[in-house]
Amino acid sequence: MREITADIAVVGGGPAGMSAALRACGLGAKTVLIERDAALGGILNQCVHDGFGLLRFKKQMSGSQYAQQFADAVYESSASVMTETTVLKLIPGECGSKAQSRQGLYTTGEKTGGALIRAGAVILAMGCRERPRQQAGIVGSRPAGVLTAGAVQKYINVEGYLPGRKAVILGSGDIGLIMARRMTLEGIDVAGVYEIMPSPGGLRRNVAQCLDDYDIPLRLSSTVTEVHGKKRVEGVTVADVDAARHPIPGTEVFVPCDLLVLSVGLIPENELSRDAGIEMDPVTGGPVLDNFMMASVPGFFAAGNVSAVFDLVDYVSDTGEAAAEGACRFLGGEALPEYVTVRAGDDVSFVLPGKIRRDLPSSALYMRVKRTIENAVLEILADGKPVYEKKHPIVTPPEMVTARFHESAGSGVPDAGGLTVRILGD
Amino acid sequence: MKKFTCIVCPISCSLAVQAEGGGDITVTGSKCDRGKAYAKDEYLAPKRVITTTVKIDGADIALLPVIGTAPVPKELLRTCLRHLYGIKVTAPVRMGDVIERDILGSGVDIVAARSAVIKKG
Amino acid sequence: MNVEIRDGIAYIGGGLSDWNAVVNLGHSLCAEPGVNNAAIERPDLAERDLSAYLAMDDIDETDVVVIGGGISGCGIARELRKRECGVLLLEKNSDVAEGTTKSNNGMIHSGYDSKHGSLKARLNVEGNALYDELASDLGFRFNQTGSFVCAYGAEDEATIAGFLENAKKNSVPGVEVLDGNRSREIEPAMAKDIAFTLWTPSAGYVEPYEVALALMENAIQNGARLRLNCEVKGFAFSEGGESISKVLTTHGAICCKHVVNAAGLYADDMAFLARDGFFSIHPRGGVLVIFDKRKPSLLKTYLGVTPKNFTKGGGPMMTPQGTMLWGPSADERADKENLSVDEEGLRFVIEKGVRLLDGMDSGDVITYFAGNRASTFNEDFVICNSKRIDNLTHVAGIQSPGVASSPAIARMASALVMERKGYGPNERFNPVRRHKPPFRELDARETGGENVICRCETVTEREIVEAIGGVIPARTVDAVKRRTRAGMGRCQGGFCGSRVIRILARELKIDPTEVTVKGPGTNLLISRTRG
Repeated sequence: MREITADIAVVGGGPAGMSAALRACGLGAKTVLIERDAALGGILNQCVHDGFGLLRFKKQMSGSQYAQQFADAVYESSASVMTETTVLKLIPGECGSKAQSRQGLYTTGEKTGGALIRAGAVILAMGCRERPRQQAGIVGSRPAGVLTAGAVQKYINVEGYLPGRKAVILGSGDIGLIMARRMTLEGIDVAGVYEIMPSPGGLRRNVAQCLDDYDIPLRLSSTVTEVHGKKRVEGVTVADVDAARHPIPGTEVFVPCDLLVLSVGLIPENELSRDAGIEMDPVTGGPVLDNFMMASVPGFFAAGNVSAVFDLVDYVSDTGEAAAEGACRFLGGEALPEYVTVRAGDDVSFVLPGKIRRDLPSSALYMRVKRTIENAVLEILADGKPVYEKKHPIVTPPEMVTARFHESAGSGVPDAGGLTVRILGD
Repeated sequence: MKKFTCIVCPISCSLAVQAEGGGDITVTGSKCDRGKAYAKDEYLAPKRVITTTVKIDGADIALLPVIGTAPVPKELLRTCLRHLYGIKVTAPVRMGDVIERDILGSGVDIVAARSAVIKKG
Repeated sequence: MNVEIRDGIAYIGGGLSDWNAVVNLGHSLCAEPGVNNAAIERPDLAERDLSAYLAMDDIDETDVVVIGGGISGCGIARELRKRECGVLLLEKNSDVAEGTTKSNNGMIHSGYDSKHGSLKARLNVEGNALYDELASDLGFRFNQTGSFVCAYGAEDEATIAGFLENAKKNSVPGVEVLDGNRSREIEPAMAKDIAFTLWTPSAGYVEPYEVALALMENAIQNGARLRLNCEVKGFAFSEGGESISKVLTTHGAICCKHVVNAAGLYADDMAFLARDGFFSIHPRGGVLVIFDKRKPSLLKTYLGVTPKNFTKGGGPMMTPQGTMLWGPSADERADKENLSVDEEGLRFVIEKGVRLLDGMDSGDVITYFAGNRASTFNEDFVICNSKRIDNLTHVAGIQSPGVASSPAIARMASALVMERKGYGPNERFNPVRRHKPPFRELDARETGGENVICRCETVTEREIVEAIGGVIPARTVDAVKRRTRAGMGRCQGGFCGSRVIRILARELKIDPTEVTVKGPGTNLLISRTRG
């Protein structure tokens, strides 16, 4: 078995992994980037639509352009890239006590062979996966033609095939909205988007640009209850739901279609992390992290959608850089830091990171709110005392809210009371 | 009167545009000037950025993603797409290479949104 | 509806309206003295126009035709190859194990509850005892975990005592009644309010489709043949009508000396087409629920309850692949092709599981599906030689505990064929199947370089290519899935689906739009986007 030694091993060559690798190289670390696909870019390679990079590059790019820009930079950097390579197993501390090569990664790939990578630090950047049909609770038969929005996106934009002629979309997540438009432009008749919640799951501007613009109906508080068809999908039953999200009897309607597209949520892809014994946060679905994206197992960092599902790729790239900086500090041999907790307060469902270093507390904070609030005030409390506030004309659950905690901005380093982030309404 | 959802920022204002006599228009429902400008454009001359894929031969990928260098008038979007669905390019391609110059006389170039190398074997 | 009793069989004729009424009538007729089974008259089959099939050329000939590639048919084909007779198995679907077999919970029952004296009871206990050797010969997983019948209090005592007595009569090995604490020592996940249990250590699990595939592969390695997508439409008979001369299929006519009817849900159709209809299959649907692998490796055994608490269906268990499976439920279905999951069945399975296991909820469900049991009205196996046709053997009504019984069913069916046809032993029969261990079970330190296609189940491109070119070639996405587990994991093919289609298209030299999920009409891709 081939052995490869590196300072930092990055698992996953999507936007998080590429930015982590680039920053790690920039900081002088010998970096290896492992990607299971043939090309770097991850899910961006199937995002041919625009709307990427507005925050980082102040311009509208397509997902492909954003990916290519990073991929070109990675190939120009000192990073060693292993494509078509899958990490089978992570083994923390397997390779003895020497800090520079403590972690083990077993990889496989036809091109790169079976390999053991020894690295001082590992950055997990595996991204996320889509929730399958069964988790949407649909009953009925199991014909061909039920696909997740991401799978449809790959068939149409990458493989060049149409998986149906007439589609119903369940769930109004961003990928579902984007695919409503793409399917329409590619000649698939989109009968409608059904969303069980009373408000869209994706960004309002995606509703405007992808549905309204093409007269595709969005039905809120309604869902697909049953799939029909023995061989290929022949139609679905849709129904309105009550406040408890249960279908209301008598509202069922049969909608003929040969394709049911699901956009019912994303789940961080953490099977490798769990196997490595990393502590997980049940709310984000990602590892419990500090402000340098380090997980509970020292030397293991996470970046991008593996840590929590982001809605903007710009943030994903930012977390990759933070993780690379954390990994380089770890390699420098500093003692394990002490932490204070970051809590989600009123109307906040989670804050990433869940803890910040006492010695280096400044941190970007990423959060999701529980409900739509107009004229909201985001407030950070340190040890219960307000140290930061920012007005937001509106906050909504599909749109991640960000803030930055500066050590110098408030009363200094929080103590045992930690930080709390909350949203106040009018 | 025409209604739009503003896409300028997350507030997503519901905009209403009313045509007045003499070519003037008024925008209501907007919280900012950028929104007003968006509504005017959207009412008078709506534009869309073309993003799609075109067939590519001899490459490591089956389809080449492409993008317009600027938005085209909305009414040209479908015609431009139909045109692009019919064209074919050949590897290698670098991101930014012009795939279709001045598409349908719109003044907008269609460029490659990623690179494609020649397929091995 | 009208009923006529002839030779111990109650024939139900006339207009059938309400299916549940028909099922109830069938069941109550079987309870009457002198009635062995009930059958719904099938004039549609008796009068089927076979001229088109009779006009087709003879395409094949063999000694014994086995109709149906479920676990029974595959086991029978292998068993028959222990004799010097040619064997050809016909399967109407695009793969073996596509019917009832694939949607079965894979329980290898101990045999405590089958009514003493029934064929089920005898074959269950015999079949269970044969599984160890079969698993080691064929290289499929058999986890002999043992199983519990859980009881909540004094009101369950009589039921448990009855099971214990029945188990002893059936010669089930090792059965005993345990108190709750002793039970929880064996099964720590068992809910705290369970007071005592019946413990049956010989129970276990298999993946039924894995067993069927392994049986058929080994049968083929020993010279049996298989025709897929080959549906039997009827039979041609000898001049006197006493025997079948040809099996008429969608491929053409097949000349043979003997026929084994192992057609599962359609065994009654085959019997009526062979002019020997004396039973009917009334499909009983069941919903099965599968949980994420990482959820609990906590459950070690199988948990059931006394029928008083829940009158039907199975409880939580671990599959040999380490995923947790709950179910099935049970409901009568008029349509044999109705494999839909009903909301009631799904709720039933989940509520029952939640009651038996501490710390479980429905949040980790990764998939659910339904299957239909091939039940007869007397609710027992029908395994016998035909009384009317001298070269026909029926293997029908195989429902729970059919998987557990299948090795014994195969032996019994083969013996029945030998009663009519005295083929001598095949000295060259090799019971051991040649196969490779899956990539995911190799030590990460030892593996070479392979492209992983399915990341949830760690399935490599080589494994998929080998499945497509295997002893029973996988021609569909589902067939690849059953052989390799690609697409069976937590993302349910969201990631690997398109890659599997691409590999299938490449290996089969067809266009991706021609690749199907499970046979004709189930194509996933409709057309190309760009000319």
